[in-house]
Amino acid sequence: MFKKTILLKDTSFSPEDKTRDVFTRCLDYLREKQLEQDIQVVRVADSGVYGQGLVMKVLPDATLYVNLKDEDVTRVIDAAAQNKTIEGLALKKAPKQIRIVLRNCGKIDPESLEEYIATGGYVGLKKALLELTPDKVIEEMKKAGLRGRGGAGYPTWMKWKFARQVVADQKFVICNADEGDPGAYMDRSVLEGDPHSVIEGLIIAAYAVGASKGYFYIRAEYPLAVERIQKAIDQANAAGLLGKNILGSAFSLDLEIRLGAGAFVCGEETALIASIEGRRGTPRPRPPYPSVKGLWDKPTVINNVETLSNVSFILLKGSEQFASIGTEKSKGTKVFAVTGKVKNSGLVEVPMGITLREIVYDIGGGTISGKAVKAVQTGGPSGGVIPVDALDTQVDYENLQKLGSIMGSGGMIVMDEEDCMVDIAKFYLGFCVDESCGKCAPCRIGGYQMLEVLKRVANGQAKLEDMTVLRRISQAMQKASLCGLGQTAANPVLSTMKYFESEYKQHIENKKCPAGKCSALSNYAIIQEKCKRCSLCQKNCPVEAIPGSREDGFTIVQEKCIKCGRCLEVCKFKAVSKT
Amino acid sequence: MDKLTPEAIDRIFKQNRQQSANWIKVGMSTCGIAAGADEVYATLVEEIKKRNIQVTVKKCGCLGMCHAEPLVEVCVDGMPTVIYGRVNKEIAVKILDKHVNSKALLNDYIFDLETK
Repeated sequence: MFKKTILLKDTSFSPEDKTRDVFTRCLDYLREKQLEQDIQVVRVADSGVYGQGLVMKVLPDATLYVNLKDEDVTRVIDAAAQNKTIEGLALKKAPKQIRIVLRNCGKIDPESLEEYIATGGYVGLKKALLELTPDKVIEEMKKAGLRGRGGAGYPTWMKWKFARQVVADQKFVICNADEGDPGAYMDRSVLEGDPHSVIEGLIIAAYAVGASKGYFYIRAEYPLAVERIQKAIDQANAAGLLGKNILGSAFSLDLEIRLGAGAFVCGEETALIASIEGRRGTPRPRPPYPSVKGLWDKPTVINNVETLSNVSFILLKGSEQFASIGTEKSKGTKVFAVTGKVKNSGLVEVPMGITLREIVYDIGGGTISGKAVKAVQTGGPSGGVIPVDALDTQVDYENLQKLGSIMGSGGMIVMDEEDCMVDIAKFYLGFCVDESCGKCAPCRIGGYQMLEVLKRVANGQAKLEDMTVLRRISQAMQKASLCGLGQTAANPVLSTMKYFESEYKQHIENKKCPAGKCSALSNYAIIQEKCKRCSLCQKNCPVEAIPGSREDGFTIVQEKCIKCGRCLEVCKFKAVSKT
Repeated sequence: MDKLTPEAIDRIFKQNRQQSANWIKVGMSTCGIAAGADEVYATLVEEIKKRNIQVTVKKCGCLGMCHAEPLVEVCVDGMPTVIYGRVNKEIAVKILDKHVNSKALLNDYIFDLETK
């Protein structure tokens, strides 16, 4: 058995990877010192640190050494053999992530109730039911400072309190698992990886507001999540954690799943309610808010998956521990689904107040291409684009709003220099136009007209006045739309125009797309001097736009070209230019 | 399952705190399954039976390192607990032969990322 394990990785961005060389030297050194039986050295695929040169990590002490010079390698081995740490060289790396919502994800079997309880599951519920009054539970949430993780950041305790204060014969709780933002899948992972934590949160919410019936509104595109939640509900029913007189108390609750058919607008609470009632999923004006008049006109509390998972944690560990994490106004953690051009795409759970730079570079490992980050998009179609200069902003609800974006449900898309901001705005607006329910005119007509303008910009047919048009329609949509979808649909356009105005102007005035993304504005041509007449481009062109022969050479017929870029990809001699 | 009492919850919570060693966990959320975790899981179960190794294979959710799925976390006696990423059938077999049986870590597949 090895006494120590040393993990090894060259994390510098240079194309030459030194890992294998150093590894061989380590093996030689171990043999020389006859330490082969005591220490094992392993090359790792990812060491969790980036751009820090040669990295060695000694286990089980988890001592981390970075930016090692060649002569340091043997010193690290010697120190490990003597059970010492080289002071001054060892790096103290504070963990960036804090896992509350994802505390059990990937650690327990999601289909085992017993494993969940073994991690402290349902202990919080037991405490709530047997030791706390509903008002005390709401008080705990207030002390914790938990705010809704669905996007708007409304304090959870207030929602609960409003619903609690209303006198009614029946109240409802709903878990909103209609996650629809492109690129966001945190809720799915929690539902799949730790379904009981969400159910526990929902039971606690029901107890606090006095509801006897609850619904999971999950989109049908998440079959595995639906399956696991159903299994977990069945287990909880069998174990007496749901149903009549839960854990011997006077409190009873029934839970049921309702499937969403994939409409984005059904994530909006009033539309969601309409959908559960069996009506068409369109929003209605608020107030009255669902806490007062919701499902079947009864007081209803709707909480997001992540919020509910936080609730069970707060009851288990106490509001003080939760409130000790985060910033003054935004407590706790936030789970982000980091995707796009980032190296380590996946889920991260970070304390509020961390900077975007830390998320993108320290956890995400920078861009996959090695190119510079251009912007980060948060909040999905309701959010905005945050330029690279603002990456040092601390993440919380207010700060992101100030930047013209929102926290949203937790999608975070990293963009590099090859992403065109007009194209991004067009994509998100197009999404909202597709998903608009059509009930109110500002969203239905305004969104469509804005998209038409954006298409003109992308095609090089727009005038400078069109930017004013975009701003004016945006304003109308923000002010007059019925629900959040229309009110926020213009955000991606406004924020890209704010931070990347020159890029819009390039499209309009110079008919150029700096990122080379807008195909209508790019031209492919063959550089005759470099062309070796191999005919690969001709063979690969899907629309036969490259006539010619191996004797006479090739040209691209612009009228026929669909700008797919295939010729550029296949050319081995870099003889195809893109302008 | 029998109805749980408040005492039963406390008991399970307290007694089950230490997880026994010798387990292999496979991330089986949508991200893992899409990357081929199903096949890895089946291979592990089958090969363990064939080799008669004393180790349990468990399904679990997503660790968050979706770019490196399928993920396999291995905890066996006398070895540091590590996570292997981008595991396929062949690597799964190697994990059993080298890591579990010969007690030596595999090169080039460990992802030492924050998951706590």
